[in-house]
Amino acid sequence: MSSSSIVAIVPILCVMAAGIAAMLAEAFREPGERIPISGLGLVGLAGAGISTVLLWGRHATGFGVVAADTFGLFVVMILVVIGAMTMLLSPRMVERDQLPGGEYYALTLFALAGMMLMAMATDLLVIFLALEVMSLAVYVLTAIRRGTEASVEGAFKYFILGGFSSAFFLYGLAFVYGIAHTTKLDGVGSALAGEAASHPTLALVAVGLLLVGFGFKVSAVPFHMWTPDAYEGAPAIVAGFMSTGVKAAAFAAFVRVMVTAFEPLRAAWLPVIWVMAAITMILGTVVGVAQTNLKRMLAYSSIAHAGYILIGLAASNDVGRGAILFYLLVYGVTNLGAFAVIGLLATPGRANDDLASMAGLSNRHPALAAVFAVLLLSLGGIPPTAGFVGKWYIFNAAVRSGDYGLAIIGVLTSVVSIFFYLRVIVMMYMAEPGDAPSSPEPSRAAVLTLAATLIVTFYLGILPAPMLELAARSVGSLF
Amino acid sequence: MFPVLTTIVFLPLVGALLLLLIENRDGRRDAVIRWTALGASLLVFAATLVLWIRFDPSRADFQFVERHDWIPSFGVQYFVGVDGISLFLLVLTGVLTPVALLSSWESVHKKVKEFSAFLLVLESAMLGVFVSLDLFLFYMFWDAMLIPMYFLIGVWGYDRRIYAAVKFILFTAAGSVLMLLAIIGLAWMHNSITGTGYSFDLLKLYDLRLPRQYEFWFFLAFTLAFAIKVPLFPFHTWLPDAHVEAPTAGSVILAGVLLKMGAYGLVRFAFPLFPSAAAFFAPAIALLAVIGIVYGALVAMVQPDLKKLVAYSSVSHMGFVVLGICALNVQGMQGAMYQMLNHGISTGGLFLIVGMLSDRRHTRQIAEFGGLKAVTPRLVAVFLLITLSSIGLPGLNGFVGEFLILLGAFRWDPRYAAFAASGVILSAVYMLWMFQRVNYGPVTHDENRSLPDLTVRERWVIIPIVAMAIFMGVLPGIFLRPMQPSVDRLLQRVSREAVARAPVAGRTDVTLRATGPADVRVKN
Repeated sequence: MSSSSIVAIVPILCVMAAGIAAMLAEAFREPGERIPISGLGLVGLAGAGISTVLLWGRHATGFGVVAADTFGLFVVMILVVIGAMTMLLSPRMVERDQLPGGEYYALTLFALAGMMLMAMATDLLVIFLALEVMSLAVYVLTAIRRGTEASVEGAFKYFILGGFSSAFFLYGLAFVYGIAHTTKLDGVGSALAGEAASHPTLALVAVGLLLVGFGFKVSAVPFHMWTPDAYEGAPAIVAGFMSTGVKAAAFAAFVRVMVTAFEPLRAAWLPVIWVMAAITMILGTVVGVAQTNLKRMLAYSSIAHAGYILIGLAASNDVGRGAILFYLLVYGVTNLGAFAVIGLLATPGRANDDLASMAGLSNRHPALAAVFAVLLLSLGGIPPTAGFVGKWYIFNAAVRSGDYGLAIIGVLTSVVSIFFYLRVIVMMYMAEPGDAPSSPEPSRAAVLTLAATLIVTFYLGILPAPMLELAARSVGSLF
Repeated sequence: MFPVLTTIVFLPLVGALLLLLIENRDGRRDAVIRWTALGASLLVFAATLVLWIRFDPSRADFQFVERHDWIPSFGVQYFVGVDGISLFLLVLTGVLTPVALLSSWESVHKKVKEFSAFLLVLESAMLGVFVSLDLFLFYMFWDAMLIPMYFLIGVWGYDRRIYAAVKFILFTAAGSVLMLLAIIGLAWMHNSITGTGYSFDLLKLYDLRLPRQYEFWFFLAFTLAFAIKVPLFPFHTWLPDAHVEAPTAGSVILAGVLLKMGAYGLVRFAFPLFPSAAAFFAPAIALLAVIGIVYGALVAMVQPDLKKLVAYSSVSHMGFVVLGICALNVQGMQGAMYQMLNHGISTGGLFLIVGMLSDRRHTRQIAEFGGLKAVTPRLVAVFLLITLSSIGLPGLNGFVGEFLILLGAFRWDPRYAAFAASGVILSAVYMLWMFQRVNYGPVTHDENRSLPDLTVRERWVIIPIVAMAIFMGVLPGIFLRPMQPSVDRLLQRVSREAVARAPVAGRTDVTLRATGPADVRVKN
C-alpha cells in the first residue's frame, strides 16, 4: 500500500471527517447552544474541492479499487458543488422545521462521501459499499421529519424498494464474480471479452440484475415508483439534494460499469438502455403534466431528466459520455436550486408546495419568483440557459450515433415538459394572488447561493465552451 | 471594424437591464421607465437607419460581418451579417418597437417596468434572428424570442390570455425542436461529408450536397418550424388566439415582426439549404398558401370581432408571401420580401387602430361601433388609409407586393395566381365591409357620440406607419434595389440548374428582368 493510495481518497476523507466533526459537535453541544455545523461541512467540502483540483490529471489510484481519474473527479466536483449549495441553503430551513441539526448535517456529509466513493470506485464490491453508504444516509434523511406521515411513508417506500434493488444489485454482483472470478471492473471486462461465449446466459442475467440496481438509483422507468413519494415526503432541500447528488453518483458508476466491465456485451444491453431511455422520458413528462404538487412535479421532471441522460449512455460514444457529465452538472445546479426555492417558500407548519400556493408569487416575492422561473425554463431547455446547452449536447450525441428516433422522442417530450414548467410560471406571474402567506425573508447565504445558481445557469447557457471541453476531455480517462 | 450589428442586437437588451435597475415601487417612476425604454428603442431605430445608409446596395453577399469562435469543439461561431433580404426587416423591427412602446403608453399600467423590459428583450431576440448566420446562434435567438412574447401575452393580455400564451408557446416550441435536431444533423453531416469538422456556419452549409433522404427530412423539419410561425394553413390556429388576447403592443410586434420570421426562415434557411427538396415540395406548400389566402379571407369576412378579423386577414396576407417564395422566380421572391414589409406596416397599423378603438370603448365588436366618421374624423382618416394599404390600392405599399407576387405566381403556374387573385378581391370585400360598418352610417350607440379624436401621442404612434405606407407605395425602388442582388443570388442557390449553368457571378433570368417587374422597380 503506497501513500498514493491514500492520496486518491483524500476528497472522500475530507467529507467523512466533516461528517464525524458534525456528529461530535452535536454531541458536545450544550442545550440551547447554537453551533454553525453547516460551516464544518463547508470546510470539509472546501478541502474536498481543493484536493480534487490538486488530483486533477494525476491519475492516482487507491488500493486498486478507487480511481481518481478525470471522469470520477469531474463528478466529485459536481458533488462538491451540490454539497456546498446544500450546506449554504439549509441552516434557516433546518431551524424553521426544527430538524435535528447535527444528524441532518452528518447524514448529508456521509451521503456525500458515499456518492464520491461511488463516482470513483472501480470495483463492483466497492461500488456496492458506496451505494449502501449513500443510500442508508439518504433513507434516514427522507424520514428526518419523523412527525409527518408523508415523510415516514415516503421514506418507508424508498427503504423497502431500495432494499430490494440493492439485493438485485448484489445478486448480479455474485453472478459476475461467478463468471469472472473478480469484481474489479477491468478484470470483469477482459474476462467477459474472453469467456463471454462460454457463459452467455449467466453474463446476461448478471447485466440485467445490475441494470435493475442502477435503474432504481437513477429513477429510470420502470424502477421509478419510489421517486414522487420520497421527494414529496422529504423536506424540500433534502429532495433537492437527493434528486441531484444520488443521480450524479449513480450515473457516474452506471456509465463506468457499462463502458468498462460490460463493454463486450454492449450489443445486448444497448437496446435495453434505449427502451429504458424512451419510456423514462415519456412517462416522466406525461405523468408530470398531471401533477399539482410542485415536489411531485419536480420528481417526475427528474425522472424525465434521467431519461435524457440515458440518451447519452445509449449513444455510446464519447460525445454522449461528455454530454452526461455536462448534463449532470447543469441539472444538479438547476434542480437543487428549484427545490431550494420551494423550501424557502414554506412557512412553519405549512409546506406551500402545491401549484395553487404559487399564485401571485411574483407580487409577494419578486426575486424568488424570477429565480424560480429562470430555473424552470432551464430545466425545460429554453435558451439562453444552461439547460438548453445540456440538452443540445445530449441530442448531439444521439444524432452522432445516427439515433434520430431517441432524439425525436427527446425533443418532443421536452416540449411537453415545457408545458408543466410553464404552468408554475403562469401561476406565479399571471394568476390572481391566492391566500398563501408571505414566507420569511431568506437568509443572506441562501440569497447569495441562489444568485450564484442564476449566474451559473446563464453563464453555462451563454459561454459553455470551457466547461463543455472540460467534460469532453474528462471522459477520455475511462479507457 | 466597429461591431455595428452586435451593437444593434444587444442595445435593447442593455436598455432592458438598465430598466431593471430603476427602483419602481407602486409605479411611482412609470414615466421615467417609459421614457427610458422609448429612448433605447429610438436609439436602436436610429442605428438601423445608419445601417441602411451605410449598406452597399450593389453587393449580394453579407455585409457588416462579424465572426468569432464560440464553442470551437463543435464548430459553433458567433457569426452575424446582413444582406438585402434581412436589412429591411431590421429596419422594420427598429420602427415597430418604439411604436409598440408608444402605443401602450396609456393602456398599460400594470408592471410597466417589466412590460417595457420584456418588449426590449424581445426586440434583441428578433434582431438577433435576422442577423444570425450560424445556425446554433440563430436557434438560440429563435427560441429565446418565445419567452418575452409569452409573458407579454400572458401577463398584459385580455381575458383568455393564459390559454393564448400557453398555446402560442407550445405550438411554436413543438415546431422548432424538430428543426433543432435537423440543425444538429446538418452540422454532423458537414463533418461526415467534407471531413473538415462540425460546422453550423450557414455559408459552409449552403455548399453542402446532402444525400437525398437527409435533405428531404431536414427540409420538412425546418419548414414545419417556419410554417407554424408564418402561419401557414393548417398550422395557423394559434394565431387568432394569440392576436386577440395580446395587448396592442404585443399584437403589433407579433403581426409586424414575428410572423416575418417564418417567411424569412424559409428564404434564408429552408429553401437555399435544401434546394432539391424545396423544388419538390414547393407546389404542395404553395397549395397550402393558396388555401390559406382564400380560407383566411373567408373566415375574416364573418368575424364580429375587429381584432380577430385583422388576425385572419394576416393568415391571408402571409399566404401571399409564401406563395411568392414558392414561385421561385425573381418577381415572386421580391414580391414576397416586399409584402413582408408591407404586412408589417399595414397590419401593425390596423392593430394600432383597433387598439385605439378598444381603449376608447373597451370593446372590439364591430356591431358596437358605427358612424365614427362624424365623431372622430382624424382617426377615421388614418384608418381608411391603412385599410386601403392593406387591401392593396395602387399608390400604397400593399399594391406593389401583391402585384409582384401574382406576377411571379402567374409565370410559374397560372392556376395558383388565379386562386390567389380571388384573395385580393375578398380582402377588399371584408376590409371595406368592416370599414363601412365601423365608420359610416348613423351613430347607433350613444356611448360613441363623445369619443375623443386622435390625441397627440396617438398621432405620433400612427404617423410613422402612414408615412411608411405612402412612401413604400410611391417609391418601391428604394427598397427593391438593395434587395435585388441578394434575391438573385438566393435564386441561383435554390435552382440547381442555374448553378450548373452559371457558376457564381452570372445573374439569372436576364430576359425576364427586362420584361418583368423592371417597370415597377425603376419607377422612381
